[in-house]
Amino acid sequence: MVHYRFPPASAYRLNRCLFALKSDDAFRSRFRADARAAMREMELDDADAAALLRGERDALVARGAHPYLVFMADLRLRMEREAVTFEYF
Amino acid sequence: MLVGAFACAHTPQLLARPETEDRELVLRVHAAFARVKRRLEALRPDAIAMIAGDHIEAFFLSAVPALAVYVGTECAGTFGRYRYRFPIHEPLARALVEAGIERGFDLVYTQDAPLDYAFYVPLHFTMPEPSVPLVPLHVNVYLPPQPTPKRCYEWGRALGEILGSRSERVVLMASGGMSHFPGTDRYASPEFDYDRRLLDLLSAGRSRELAAVTAEELDRAGNIELRTWITLLGAVGDAKADVYCYEPSWHHGNAVVEWPLAIT
Repeated sequence: MVHYRFPPASAYRLNRCLFALKSDDAFRSRFRADARAAMREMELDDADAAALLRGERDALVARGAHPYLVFMADLRLRMEREAVTFEYF
Repeated sequence: MLVGAFACAHTPQLLARPETEDRELVLRVHAAFARVKRRLEALRPDAIAMIAGDHIEAFFLSAVPALAVYVGTECAGTFGRYRYRFPIHEPLARALVEAGIERGFDLVYTQDAPLDYAFYVPLHFTMPEPSVPLVPLHVNVYLPPQPTPKRCYEWGRALGEILGSRSERVVLMASGGMSHFPGTDRYASPEFDYDRRLLDLLSAGRSRELAAVTAEELDRAGNIELRTWITLLGAVGDAKADVYCYEPSWHHGNAVVEWPLAIT
């Protein structure tokens, strides 16, 4: 597969963290308040945490993150951080 | 009995309408959804059996079912400020699980999973009032290895036979696609030509050819979600598709399609 590959077990914690950012409002709030503490809660290792803090999609995917989870975790964070205009028309 | 069959896109931008989108294009897709709603009102279904691919919302890596059926009294999902709740047609859902298992499909069922936007974005625009009870049917599309297109087609054929033996009037609706590549470098360049060739095949009633496509081909064409359509095609057989719209946006091939069925 080129675009969506089997999620390696080595990336389980990273994918679990991205899934929580996407789908768990309470976790996303904790992440926004203190990202490092939230990532410790998810037991991310230093390299995963650094890539996530920098928002480096390619690095995250190279580490086994699922591209859709990276995409949607980022979108959900931006939806809360920025005044994204919805229902524009 | 199966009284109607539809397939449609579910991109959340159709619902949320952010300023990144082409207003006229989105409104044309809304108009196609409105046609589906009018058809549903005319078909008067007792249930809508909706085949959608979970976006890693209901099922995470704790357990990844290939095929699942929601068997509860209701289902609900949220996306930002959008909140949905639908009744489930429990007797039909249970019958699909039981008859599916009996036919050799090792289905997962859930009474608890949240509803993904792949279900409620199309339903936002097409669900008649009052709500028609739903039977959500999940096909794994995002977590490889997904069920093969052939297996999806076979499950769809079984679904068609099971529904055909039931007294309820049931509409099948597939939600997914067409070409898009969320989270990848290809997000802004879907394979629109692939979509158009496919819609030509479906319009010619050659849908069984889709049972033979490979997982690799679907992944390359940004059409992993087409498994939901292929499942539906197993149930509609060689009926010819009536394409309500195909609207390629900057990130998504938005299609809305009906397979008009000869109802006996």
